[in-house]
Amino acid sequence: MLTSAATLNSTSLGAFGAISPTNTSRIRLQRPQSVSLCSSSPHNLLKPRIIFTTTTTSSGGSSWETATSVKTAVAAVDSPGPAEKMQQQTSTKYYFLVANAKFMLDEEEHFQEQLFERLRYYGEQNKEQDFWLVIEPKFLEKFPKITRRLKRPAVALVSTNGTWITFMKLRLDRVLLESFEADSLEEALAYNPVNLEFEKPENWVAPYPKYESGWWERFLPPGSAKHNA
Amino acid sequence: MAALVKLTSKFTTTTTPKFGNPITRRPLQSQLKFSTTIKASAATTTKRGGGKKKEGIKESLLTPRFYTTDFDEMERLFNREINKNLKEGEFEALLQEFKTDYNQTHFVRNKEFKEAADKMEGPLRQIFVEFLERSCTAEFSGFLLYKELGRRLKKTNPVVAEIFSLMSRDEARHAGFLNKGLSDFNLALDLGFLTKARKYTFFKPKFIFYATYLSEKIGYWRYITIYRHLKANPEYQCYPIFKYFENWCQDENRHGDFFSALMKAQPQFLNDWKAKLWARFFCLSVYVTMYLNDCQRTAFYEGIGLHTKEFDMHVIIETNRTTARIFPAVPDVENPEFKRKLDRMVEINQKLLAVGESQDASFVKNLKRIPLVAALVSEILAAYLMPPIESGSVDFAEFEPQVVY
Repeated sequence: MLTSAATLNSTSLGAFGAISPTNTSRIRLQRPQSVSLCSSSPHNLLKPRIIFTTTTTSSGGSSWETATSVKTAVAAVDSPGPAEKMQQQTSTKYYFLVANAKFMLDEEEHFQEQLFERLRYYGEQNKEQDFWLVIEPKFLEKFPKITRRLKRPAVALVSTNGTWITFMKLRLDRVLLESFEADSLEEALAYNPVNLEFEKPENWVAPYPKYESGWWERFLPPGSAKHNA
Repeated sequence: MAALVKLTSKFTTTTTPKFGNPITRRPLQSQLKFSTTIKASAATTTKRGGGKKKEGIKESLLTPRFYTTDFDEMERLFNREINKNLKEGEFEALLQEFKTDYNQTHFVRNKEFKEAADKMEGPLRQIFVEFLERSCTAEFSGFLLYKELGRRLKKTNPVVAEIFSLMSRDEARHAGFLNKGLSDFNLALDLGFLTKARKYTFFKPKFIFYATYLSEKIGYWRYITIYRHLKANPEYQCYPIFKYFENWCQDENRHGDFFSALMKAQPQFLNDWKAKLWARFFCLSVYVTMYLNDCQRTAFYEGIGLHTKEFDMHVIIETNRTTARIFPAVPDVENPEFKRKLDRMVEINQKLLAVGESQDASFVKNLKRIPLVAALVSEILAAYLMPPIESGSVDFAEFEPQVVY
């Protein structure tokens, strides 16, 4: 925003310059709020006990995150046993979008741009990655209603950030959205190894080359890139 | 709306198929206005872009329209007590995405700009100035409309209002960046003057949604295509602004997503036969406008190493595929007959332009125009009547088990 303000002010363009400062100052006020929302939630999700306190105190904010936290908290209260055990049993909620691999990795080229854009942003903000691509995820076994309508091999976009997944559903449209809970990242992102190869399009008319196959490896679960390469 | 504005201004037409009157002959009038808005920041250097070349600008510049709408109806549409279809989750998610502000630090210039501008001479320089002007005006008109919507909807729907405000932030950033580009050519658009002096075209909210959605998505496809083409063919990279397009056009794409959500929240705009007719009409007018405009300035596209018609067809096909995710019907642009029709329209349009440039009296010109206009209208109508493709969001087909993902 600062850059924008600088750009606008230095252009010094009559009404344009006069209108923009209000615009920028509004946003400047909002930014800290949004930053804290983004950076705190995934962190919280990994530490259920903190979630419990945050949930009870915070009202409003992002509805998705709140809903998630409440569920976790309820589960924790229901489960018997000492506090340590309670902490172990709480799990993290993962949201996912799934469709066939060709759609996700080969046809929707803007999807690649979006993932790299988000990765760049996370890098700039020193934010830990909370989204992954999973080829033939094992969790699909739990969703017969989905698998019935799914061409294989399938690819899922998985994230702990449900709000973002809602947005991505809006963008991709031809995908199914669901969520599940898992105790660890490894469990959540477990997959059945498959080699992906897409046929080259017969008549590629775009005035540029297609994104290179394998761009998705950067987004596969930690430690799995080589496996699929 | 960044939408049609973007079309008319970025891609400029002399013959804009528009509601009711397919041929707009406002250009002359608007050229005059427009030329007064371009002021030189340094008198000595103006001459470089001035003199003979200045006429070049005038001729090609076409009414970059500014848009306004029925704000009271907008308020009713987004009143959550009246409209129960508003999916709060989707709008919250969009708001979060806009607040993230991926491009906060993206639009920072460097000295390459001035250097590249100084190297450009003759017709190429003129083409670039025109490109910057039209783009800047288009982005700025988006800024004005979104800003006003953000202001007007604050009470009835704070979430939607804030998204509009954040989109106007993006548009202001883009416009400012383009105007900075103009300063390298010792020019600047007087946007304050534009705000006051330009005619505002009125569109009902429904049409604002269709048109804005399309223009944001087509904007994305144009920018990303240019970006990727230049990345693959860096020898044509003659001006650094194109290097910014990859991140830049992600903003356009997100804006389009927001209008997609707005339309989903107003299913009456998407689910009846009238909606299908309007959807096809808007697609067609946007594609035709772009095609005719771009074919008038092939020098620009060839200057950056693109084949104008191939570039346009690629953009049209991709935009149409994207649009089919939300519009209930879209034209069958992949049918080879569609392109043949477009090419015939270009031919007729060129004849029309030739009439305009001839030395005839205006009375004679008008007479000569009649058969050409009729031919153009019939081509457009024929394209409109081609069998369309039924389409739409799968959200509306949720209960159809045959949809396979």
